[in-house]
Amino acid sequence: MTSQLTAEIPAGDTAPDLAVHVRGLQMSYGDRSVLCGIDFEVRRGEVFCLLGPNGAGKTTTVEILEGFRARTGGTVTVLGLDPAAQPARLRERIGIVLQECGFPRQARVGELIDLWRDYYPHPRPLGDLLDVTGLTADRNSPVRRLSGGQRRRLDFALALAGDPDLVFLDEPTTGFDPEARRRLWTSVENLRDLGKTIVLTTHYLDEAERLADRVAILLDGRIKIAGSTREVARLAALPSRISFRMPNVLLSGAIPAPEGIDLTVRGHTATCQTRNTAVTLRALLDWAARYRVGDLDDLAVDTPSLEDAYLHHVERSDGDPGL
Amino acid sequence: MKAVRLTVRQAVMEQRNFWRSPEYALFTFALPLFLLLLLGAANGGSYLPGHIRQIKVLVPSILAFGVIAAAYVNLGAKMAVLRHDGVLKRIRTTPLPAGAYLVGHIASTVATSLAIAGSMGVVGWLAFGTVPRLGGMFILASGLALGIVCFAALGLAVSSLIKSAESASPITNASYLPIAMISGIFDPTIGIPHWLSGAAGALPIKALAQVLEDAYTPAAHAFPAVDLAILLAWAVAGAALAAWRFRRQPALTAR
Repeated sequence: MTSQLTAEIPAGDTAPDLAVHVRGLQMSYGDRSVLCGIDFEVRRGEVFCLLGPNGAGKTTTVEILEGFRARTGGTVTVLGLDPAAQPARLRERIGIVLQECGFPRQARVGELIDLWRDYYPHPRPLGDLLDVTGLTADRNSPVRRLSGGQRRRLDFALALAGDPDLVFLDEPTTGFDPEARRRLWTSVENLRDLGKTIVLTTHYLDEAERLADRVAILLDGRIKIAGSTREVARLAALPSRISFRMPNVLLSGAIPAPEGIDLTVRGHTATCQTRNTAVTLRALLDWAARYRVGDLDDLAVDTPSLEDAYLHHVERSDGDPGL
Repeated sequence: MKAVRLTVRQAVMEQRNFWRSPEYALFTFALPLFLLLLLGAANGGSYLPGHIRQIKVLVPSILAFGVIAAAYVNLGAKMAVLRHDGVLKRIRTTPLPAGAYLVGHIASTVATSLAIAGSMGVVGWLAFGTVPRLGGMFILASGLALGIVCFAALGLAVSSLIKSAESASPITNASYLPIAMISGIFDPTIGIPHWLSGAAGALPIKALAQVLEDAYTPAAHAFPAVDLAILLAWAVAGAALAAWRFRRQPALTAR
């Protein structure tokens, strides 16, 4: 494969509403391929999630976008710049929230953020940064006295110091308890409300489901599928599930099972799968009405979720020797 | 211009951080001063071969020790801690040029080293009436300049070899104290085998001590060109090693 490391992509060549444009991205170490030619785009102002199991190549991809790793092939444009050609200029416009990153031990919150602001050409005002991350009260606190949650907020404040257009978050809630995860999700949503574009990597499906406008599933160095969370779920063409609590009259055999509906029973719950949700639901309700079952307790309709689509792709990938 | 301003700001911040851990700052200043007073009072009056009062050698050699502590231990341990704490990783995500960051740290280290050298010079004068001879001022200045640069470079080099934040201080301290002892920093009359003494002479610790001694003891030696050359050689070696190690840094995250 010939590599196409373009040093300069004229700004007009990338659609102005795209923050990130990736085509045929390859990353190999010798003859070991970590990324095998991936394509995706991130639109301005959206939360884009790169989803995949550990070892899929998510961090490698993000490091290439951030300009910390040199790709071996393909084209990458971030905010109109090639990260390999102009990493320093790119860093003036992006913010990166890293995991496991410390602070200078003797620093104080306000002065650290202020120092950070000075590294950038167009920083956000200090008061604004403290306000947005809820650290105003801790302005003069030594960093070493901060709680875990406050430190995380300081991570965000530093990443926002330069008023970046694009923010990278690499596995931001790994190792967090549920409470902390929710707080971080709220912070990410606040970032989006500020108009930032966000690229997030995660292996947590609930995180992708909650935060992402669009998602790409990365498996074994390839993008299996990309689109909005709804699209991805739909594209997997998985059936919906309708479930309800088994009525006693059906359990005892007093009434026949609904016709043409394949019901599986586990414990007290009956489930059926269907690609025509409304039709099946109607048939079920008609059946319930006909045999005077009354209300179907715990009736639920589960349309295929991102998780279903994801697991579907992972399972397919495991079974495929060619991958 | 902005790079210069950032460098200065970094240096000021580092100084402020240094003084913020009073125990650490105190230790860095107090230990050499304490040693000078102790050893000076104990042995200063005795005479060395060549009819030189020992105090005239003790002051400059312990001054060298103080400078080494500030330049080598301080900078070396601090950079290792910053690296293992993930602070350097975070700095790399910003547009701050690596040079500005590094020079800022070095500038702060130079300031601290000069402060220690200054305070020891003053104590040597007030407590023991020992001052550098007038003709030795240039030698003193070149010795300090080259010595600080040399040990800062070595500090950076050793910091790239340290494996954890906790081992930073023990390793930096343990890597020079025995050599300082063998070099006769604390006791110029120390009886060590000839070959060991010769070996120590090739190392920068003894070289720096000898340059500074030259500035303090009565004239009639040649200009200490060899010792200054030794300092320069070690400075270059240290800088080269540090540059090589830092360039080989793994990408941002090491998993």
